[in-house]
Amino acid sequence: MFDKVLIANRGEIALRVLRACREIGIATVAVHSTADADAMHVRLADESVCIGPPPAAESYLNIPRIVAACEITGADAVHPGYGFLSENARFAEILEGHDIAFIGPTSEHIRIMGDKIEAKATAKRLGIPVVPGSDGAITDLAEAAKVAKGMGYPVLVKAAAGGGGRGMKVAHTPEDLDSAIQTARAEAKAAFGDDSVYLEKYLAKPRHIEVQVFGDGKGNAIHLGERDCSLQRRHQKIWEEAPSPALNADERHKIGETVAAAMRKLKYRGAGTVEFLYEDGQFFFIEMNTRLQVEHPVTEMITGLDLVIEQIRIASGAPLTLEQSEVNLSGHAIECRINAENPRSFRPSPGTITYWHPPGGLGVRVDSGVYQGYRIPPYYDSLIGKLIVHGKNRNEALMRLKRCLSEFVIDGIETTIPLFADLVNEPDIANGLYDIHWLERFLQKPTQDHSSVQKTPD
Amino acid sequence: MRAEQVKKEPTQLMSNNKGKAGVDQELIRELAKLLDETGLSEIEIDRDGLRVRVARELRMQAPAMAAAPAAMQATATSADQAKAAVDDPVAHPGCVRSPMVGTTYLAPEPGAANFVEVGSRVAQGQTILIIEAMKTMNHIPAPKAGTVTRILVGNRQPVEFGEPLAIIE
Repeated sequence: MFDKVLIANRGEIALRVLRACREIGIATVAVHSTADADAMHVRLADESVCIGPPPAAESYLNIPRIVAACEITGADAVHPGYGFLSENARFAEILEGHDIAFIGPTSEHIRIMGDKIEAKATAKRLGIPVVPGSDGAITDLAEAAKVAKGMGYPVLVKAAAGGGGRGMKVAHTPEDLDSAIQTARAEAKAAFGDDSVYLEKYLAKPRHIEVQVFGDGKGNAIHLGERDCSLQRRHQKIWEEAPSPALNADERHKIGETVAAAMRKLKYRGAGTVEFLYEDGQFFFIEMNTRLQVEHPVTEMITGLDLVIEQIRIASGAPLTLEQSEVNLSGHAIECRINAENPRSFRPSPGTITYWHPPGGLGVRVDSGVYQGYRIPPYYDSLIGKLIVHGKNRNEALMRLKRCLSEFVIDGIETTIPLFADLVNEPDIANGLYDIHWLERFLQKPTQDHSSVQKTPD
Repeated sequence: MRAEQVKKEPTQLMSNNKGKAGVDQELIRELAKLLDETGLSEIEIDRDGLRVRVARELRMQAPAMAAAPAAMQATATSADQAKAAVDDPVAHPGCVRSPMVGTTYLAPEPGAANFVEVGSRVAQGQTILIIEAMKTMNHIPAPKAGTVTRILVGNRQPVEFGEPLAIIE
């Protein structure tokens, strides 16, 4: 087991990792930018090292500085959290070269799944159902038009180096295709440095359902059920549930087993999430994330397994804690991502939290690194915390969530809490009847009066 | 007969040797010896209206001492505050701060003279120390010409980004 873990991240996930390390007696090193010197996890860590000024490129994305911090503190493992360097194969490789454990999969698997074209081909090879589309990158427009015609419109042009909802353009008709491809290429080049694109069938009203897996790197793997993350704005998830209200036990078992079997074949190591679009009873692979995900708490609530501790254990060579037959999914969990943004315009709202009162009680969990008096820096994403509720069934979870949203107080900044309060009152949400376009359609409707929760300044 | 036999054991501790102050000194000595032998920190016995407690704790200074240092403290405070203001190197305009994470080396190689000492005059761009990270040596230059008035890090000391290294005036 590791003696000292360096947490190469910030915000709520850094605190999450710190908590896991504390519980199993591992010393912690928090690396941070100058803007995060007062972050809660920095204050709680056994050691901290300032690694640079606020820009991520000079701090959280700066591999030499992070490796240097490992050297001067003697850390023997790094947990990369999510985002930043968590899916950077080169970072994993460099750490391997320095004899520092990377708490995650091998650099090879990160690489395979990081290239979306190769990931799809690999998934297909491993028996995972995929979205119909072009066989690899598009090389000429005439070929693309043929593939699109064969699949039927609308089609989606996707960046091979993209992922997480970025780098996608829709072509509704054959006339749109050329410009969609050209625009997608240009944007991909600018955002990811790689203009390779491929085509996929654009599904009309799919749900986003993903399966959590864990592998020990030696051919054993289990699945921990699925999460439904269909409520998205601009491809960013804001509300996640486990299990999915759309699946029955049979479907759950089938897709879970398909994914676990694939991971066994791959000899995958660590935590991973295989993401699907689900429509009319069919699953279509879109991508695999070779890291811990933001929404991992909902899986923890229904399985009782600490996924971060499991990551650390597996990275240190221990076997999986549970066999598939021991995995028990109990109750229902919902997570709301709370952002420091206006709940309707989504304009970022950095500033100082003047009053902080999180909800509590049975089945309530708040994962957040902020506190009263904390100044939210303007340099990073706007996620300030996650509210997670668990209930014996979905109805209980929804009622608990409603109660928590009305109790939660965050003053001094704007947050998206009022949006969640609205969502919880929507019949479609209460009935679990939503797809990946539902939220955008809802947001286009005229605003409701938020009289039941705190007023947000304009 | 039986009562006499029972009486014998307590007398080993409870002697009649009352000493000057009317306190059973033998008893106290025995208890203290017991403390040492057993490693206990405290023993208390309560017998026939007599209660004795022997404890290992040491008290710090006696109350009479407290008055004297107080007067010294009063004069020291303002000097302390002034010193503290000077002491915060980051606030000093001539402070050179670390641009990276790594380990300091004050000399170009082991055994050689240090790059600079307190009092050294430096030109702009002149190396004042090395910071090593991942086996590469990075020369840290003086941002402006001047005199090194303070060196704030030792040799082979881990430093973080922004850490004050030296003051050049």
